[in-house]
Amino acid sequence: MPLFDGLGSGGEKTAIVIDLGAAYTKCGFAGETGPRFIIPSEIRKPGQQQAVKVVQYNINTEELYVILKEFIHILYFRHLLVNPRDRRVVIIESILCPSHFRETLTKVFFMQFEVPSVLFAPSHLMAIMTLGINSALVMDCGHTETLVLPVYECTPILPAWEALPLGGKAIHKELDGLLVEQCTVDTDTTTGQSVPAVIGTIPEETVEDIKVRTCFVSDLQRGLKIQEAKFNLDGTAERPAPPPDVDYPLDGEKILHVKGSIRDSVMEILFEQDNEEKSVASLILDALVKCPIDTRKVLSENLVVIGGTAMLPGFLHRLLAEIRLLVEKPKYSNVLASKSFRIHAPPAKPNCTAWLGGAIFGALQDILGSRSVSRDYYNQTGRIPDWCCLSTPPPESLYEAGKTPPPLMKRAFSTEK
Amino acid sequence: MASLLQPDRVVYLVRGEKRIRAPLSQLYFCRYCSELRSLECVSHEVDSHYCPSCLENMPSAEAKLKKNRCANCFDCPCCMHTLSTRATNIPAPLPDDPTKTAMKKAYYLACGFCRWTSRDVGMADKSVASGGWQEPENPHTQRINKLVEYYQQLAHREKQERDRKKLARRRQCMPLAFSQHTIHVVEKYGLGTRLQRQRSGAPISSLAGLSLKEGEDQKEITIEPAQALEEVEPLPEDCYTRPISLPEVTTLRQRLLQPDFQPAGASQLHPRHKHLLMKRSLRCRKCEHNLSKPEFNPTSIKFKIQLVAESQVLLTLTNPVENITHVSLAACEEDDPDDINSTAKVIVPSKELVLAGKDAAAEYDELAEPQDFQDDPDVVAFRKSNKIGFFIKVIPQKEEDADVTVSFKIRHDFRNLAAPVRPSEEGADNPTEAIWLTHHVELRLGPLAP
Repeated sequence: MPLFDGLGSGGEKTAIVIDLGAAYTKCGFAGETGPRFIIPSEIRKPGQQQAVKVVQYNINTEELYVILKEFIHILYFRHLLVNPRDRRVVIIESILCPSHFRETLTKVFFMQFEVPSVLFAPSHLMAIMTLGINSALVMDCGHTETLVLPVYECTPILPAWEALPLGGKAIHKELDGLLVEQCTVDTDTTTGQSVPAVIGTIPEETVEDIKVRTCFVSDLQRGLKIQEAKFNLDGTAERPAPPPDVDYPLDGEKILHVKGSIRDSVMEILFEQDNEEKSVASLILDALVKCPIDTRKVLSENLVVIGGTAMLPGFLHRLLAEIRLLVEKPKYSNVLASKSFRIHAPPAKPNCTAWLGGAIFGALQDILGSRSVSRDYYNQTGRIPDWCCLSTPPPESLYEAGKTPPPLMKRAFSTEK
Repeated sequence: MASLLQPDRVVYLVRGEKRIRAPLSQLYFCRYCSELRSLECVSHEVDSHYCPSCLENMPSAEAKLKKNRCANCFDCPCCMHTLSTRATNIPAPLPDDPTKTAMKKAYYLACGFCRWTSRDVGMADKSVASGGWQEPENPHTQRINKLVEYYQQLAHREKQERDRKKLARRRQCMPLAFSQHTIHVVEKYGLGTRLQRQRSGAPISSLAGLSLKEGEDQKEITIEPAQALEEVEPLPEDCYTRPISLPEVTTLRQRLLQPDFQPAGASQLHPRHKHLLMKRSLRCRKCEHNLSKPEFNPTSIKFKIQLVAESQVLLTLTNPVENITHVSLAACEEDDPDDINSTAKVIVPSKELVLAGKDAAAEYDELAEPQDFQDDPDVVAFRKSNKIGFFIKVIPQKEEDADVTVSFKIRHDFRNLAAPVRPSEEGADNPTEAIWLTHHVELRLGPLAP
């Protein structure tokens, strides 16, 4: 790492890279190898015990503005410790992010913090920048959903997107249900109590912790047997021997006995095919089918999996096995010619890969300015360009601040002849 | 009536971009704009960095180099408490005489709260008290640096293309002698403007449209693209049968403290340097003057500049400034747009009240001369040095309201004693002219007695 990494090639300060996820936010500086901080995407109001989630799409704009402002304030002044006015911002976003959330976020950055420019970078595209390749089929397994987007020659193939709401949130819900139903709690005086009797509902942080520390994804054979045993109606299928139980200490002297059978079966919801026969693995094949024929071989041999949920132990192995199993089905084998699948290992943990791509892009000071939305542009137009909206004015005239704009552009804005 | 002194009973209205109502103790007063400012209408800036445990100031260049972490202090990776350095004596062979052993001091890190020590993760004891412990390096650093260099080269080319195109476009207006050259330049690179126009905000296409072209004398940096793997490592077999011991598995929070590694096993949790905190300075957005600037020294809580509203604006009943101040109160009009909270009508004294100036020595001077103000006993309840108590009549409007809130406007004169002395061309221009300020005040008086 160069010693004077604070001094860019033109003396410009390094940009800030923020990845606002539904569960966790990764923030740091461009050009570094990893985010400085991974913090939960929530804020705590004084006097309230429950934290407020930052990434909410259903609340009205004003409340969202206040929440985002508070969160970004904490990011800048507690974690990054820099002046907002000096540094450009790169925001990693999902392409399915609703426009009003983007616009509110932009408004917070420009109006409240007066940053010089903002760049919204799609997470799937940024993930392939960490690999040095141009085409890949990128799957982002996050908290709210799993989203697959193929990228060919650095262009996202937008019509081929596929998504399922199977992510960390769905796993937590399932795990919570299983724990409440099947597990018992020991307190210092009694044993074998049911969960709701002792503690009511289990807080989400505890469920997440149990998921991270005790659960894993079984391999294909075992997983299929577990699914059979769960769904069978005549009682013939037998479940493979469950892993040992775990005694999980809750606060105080309470101990929650997590049954072993929960540990390996809760993740099966990602791979169970529901009535539409969709699972996390079938998303990849469905996306491949939607892609143009010539691209399919390249894409299937360059799979990239990012996102926090992909860090579960055993997930990648199971995913590859499921894909290879599903591709034999007539639905896919008639359409897809090549059956070879290969997966990449990016130089970062899956939950930071998109962030790393953004950091690499943010380090390119030559072009970061021209590709970002500057504060002047925002003040003039009041909006931020979005891929789904075609009515944004071209910004060339606004970049040459100080020089006269070319005559063509001038006519586009003014009404006089 | 002592409840009137609680902070959120009396709120002042700040007319910034948004209407904010806040008690005076949380507001600032910009004396150049002569307006109240709240925390939302000022811009915050980072002033200085310091370590919260050793309270050492760090200049910002050093902070940037050390990634905002203290050089001496460490955080426990288990409980995030500050680690302390402990020393033990271990027998070690003397360098010149291997047979004899002498006691040498060895240092290790230990947490006083959760009893974690650096020996738990296998870090060897160091012989120096500070500066010996290094944080582990990310194994992917080299590859990432190469990627950045490669993309920087592509970016440089894109910038050059853009500059050349701009130049080419402009030069088309110039005389014919130059136009041949520009056409030649555009043709050589052969890409139409459509493909290369990088619109901001459009889904960013890559830099691959410009693969490295020859003709440049810099050496090309190529990068080998990452190789995809056919197989992924499966879960170890004993995962299905081995009982886990929870203290050995890291929690998510412990893992996320080290984003580069995120270890799953507690035996790989290395301590990190402590993160710094910063002091903030506030600046008025309109006139760009500093409203609050803290001291440089981390141990000092004073401020170099501190324009808190309480010391500038009239507190109800108390005059903080040193000159005689005239106050007049006015009830809000019927359709006052600021008047949204009041649930009671208020009748305020219509005469102007006069408040004496603040005199710091007055409290020690018992033989002070009685102040010579003619007070109407119906209006003024008591008067003491710079304080005054006055009566207002409150008529609650509704019976069932929980809280009675009244709002009215205070109008007082303010002399800006600290304004820069302008070179007065008129000569007799009095720089301390009084300006009249009006504040909208709301008073929450509490519930109605049944």
